[in-house]
Amino acid sequence: MSMFDYDTRPATPLPVLVGTRATPGAYAIRDFLSRNGYAFEWVDAGQPEAVRAVLGVAEVESSALPLCILPDGSRLATATVEQVAAGLGMVAAPALSEYDLTIIGAGPAGLAAAVNAASEGLRTVVVEAVAPGGQAGTTSMIENYLGFPTGISGSELATRAVVQARRFGAELLLARPLTAVSADGPGYVAELSDGTLIRGRAMLFASGVEWRRLDVPGIDDLLGAGVYYGAGPSEALSCTGSRVVVVGGGNSAGQAVVRFSRYARQVTLLVRGHDLGASMSQYLVDHLSAIPNVDVRVRTEVVGLQADDRLRAVIVRSGDSTGTAPLPSEALFICIGGTPLADGAAGIGLVTNSAGYLLTGGDFASGPGGNWPLSREPLPLETNRPGVFAAGDVRCGSVKRCSAAIGEGSMAVALVHRRLSELGGD
Amino acid sequence: MTEPPTVASAAPSLSSEFAELASGERIATAAAALERGGIRSLLAATGADARSLVSSLLPDGAEVYNNTSQTLEATGIADDIERSGRYQPLRLRLYRMDREMQRREMRALGASPDYVVGSVHALTEDGSLLIASASGSQLGPLASGAGQVIFVIGAQKIVSDVATGIRRIYEYCYPLEDARARRAYGVPSGVNNILIVNKVMTPGRVTAIIVRERLGF
Repeated sequence: MSMFDYDTRPATPLPVLVGTRATPGAYAIRDFLSRNGYAFEWVDAGQPEAVRAVLGVAEVESSALPLCILPDGSRLATATVEQVAAGLGMVAAPALSEYDLTIIGAGPAGLAAAVNAASEGLRTVVVEAVAPGGQAGTTSMIENYLGFPTGISGSELATRAVVQARRFGAELLLARPLTAVSADGPGYVAELSDGTLIRGRAMLFASGVEWRRLDVPGIDDLLGAGVYYGAGPSEALSCTGSRVVVVGGGNSAGQAVVRFSRYARQVTLLVRGHDLGASMSQYLVDHLSAIPNVDVRVRTEVVGLQADDRLRAVIVRSGDSTGTAPLPSEALFICIGGTPLADGAAGIGLVTNSAGYLLTGGDFASGPGGNWPLSREPLPLETNRPGVFAAGDVRCGSVKRCSAAIGEGSMAVALVHRRLSELGGD
Repeated sequence: MTEPPTVASAAPSLSSEFAELASGERIATAAAALERGGIRSLLAATGADARSLVSSLLPDGAEVYNNTSQTLEATGIADDIERSGRYQPLRLRLYRMDREMQRREMRALGASPDYVVGSVHALTEDGSLLIASASGSQLGPLASGAGQVIFVIGAQKIVSDVATGIRRIYEYCYPLEDARARRAYGVPSGVNNILIVNKVMTPGRVTAIIVRERLGF
């Protein structure tokens, strides 16, 4: 028994990731582990003593970075997310040959559907490319979700939902994105990036959105080296004492600013529109205005970046001015809305709007390819393929809020039941 | 921080009084006394047997917090809890939480785990358990916050009475723990809080596994 119980560090060895902030691929692994709630140690390859402590030598070849040391002591040089996930036992094969419901995406909509479907006895599998929680999973504090008067972090909400879904028997397959969907009689087969096939009688696209890319020269070279899409929790600590810029006018951007303000010296929020309240909940707008080290700049956009091996400044242009000015900063987090993630939908001819969001509930009827094959009307969240549903951010017309996505995911399960009754055997 | 009466030197000379395994008779006496106080007591011949017992007491999927414990590390119990995949290891969940943004969630989670597995610093022959703590964070769950508590206790921790148990904490456990904390965390430890459990009001909530081996300190 120890008396020193202040620290909660694990008693057993953690995976160790060695790299530099500029190491290609290192950020992806940090982000993956952190979003999956997997504790790990980060060792900066530029710190000889820290490197010696884990590797026994003071230097490591840069060509071997990122280097991952697994808890069993084995090492993965130039590690990838897929290798690390497999090495940590996070990759599992589906347990069943057929499911009643295949859910694509483990964000709020997908997890809500999983909990409801599994609790009602449906054989349920969830496929997730990265980590449970979706965009909400990286949110530091959701203060307007029902039942949590002092707020709940997105990661904690996701962790609880995963435990809940698994307790009811739902399976979660992590770290492999969906690559294709094909018809299989009245059901559908989903294929994952590693070739895994999942047969389901019904399917729910709850795949959400990914951050829209910022169109600025040279930005891709700085990904993980000061420029980040979303506000991954793995980076908050490393922002201690830094100057941080967040771009975006939605709740995710606002919540990121709140989080970083606790660590960073200065956080600047850049919003292209002229009114923050147009896209952000009022409680967050009020919250931001009360934080002394937060500066909100409306009608301001990023037009360039200054960098050496990592970001040094963000070049901004404000209002109607044609002039630009550098904003010295060590980190830029981009949270500017989303691009729908409906990969695989094309394989079965799902109809989308021009921006790529899935059409449901008969919205597709007048569009091309929207030939509805059944005599009944499409159900409210049903796409143009019977038995394929969509919920949450990926669905055209959805309200882009966590609670709304959870509502849609729950509602979708009732509709799945109706479809399975139609097929018989439900 | 409350310092002990005598501050330990860097290389403390420790009395062997508190390192000796208790006789079978004293173990039986302590076990019977625990039962009278509402604490289920189990005997294990070895650390490996204790590990099997703990495994049989924890249901699959349970939310489990493993206290910082040399005993749990030496027996492999910490490894089972954190790495086997059988449980929800609360310690790992807390470790990766954001101490600035999620402090309240961390406090609530840490205060009320479904299961806590740990050890004690002394067990008296009349059935009292003594646990010292620097921060006190683990004492609330042990006293009442946790749903179930499992202690794994090396038989060298059995003492005659509470006064001797407190002496064991200051004279034996503290110097060893202080040295460990300085090595592991770079900071001193401290006997800042002591929990003494004489009796448990909810029978079956607390299980003590006494191991006929020297485990931990």
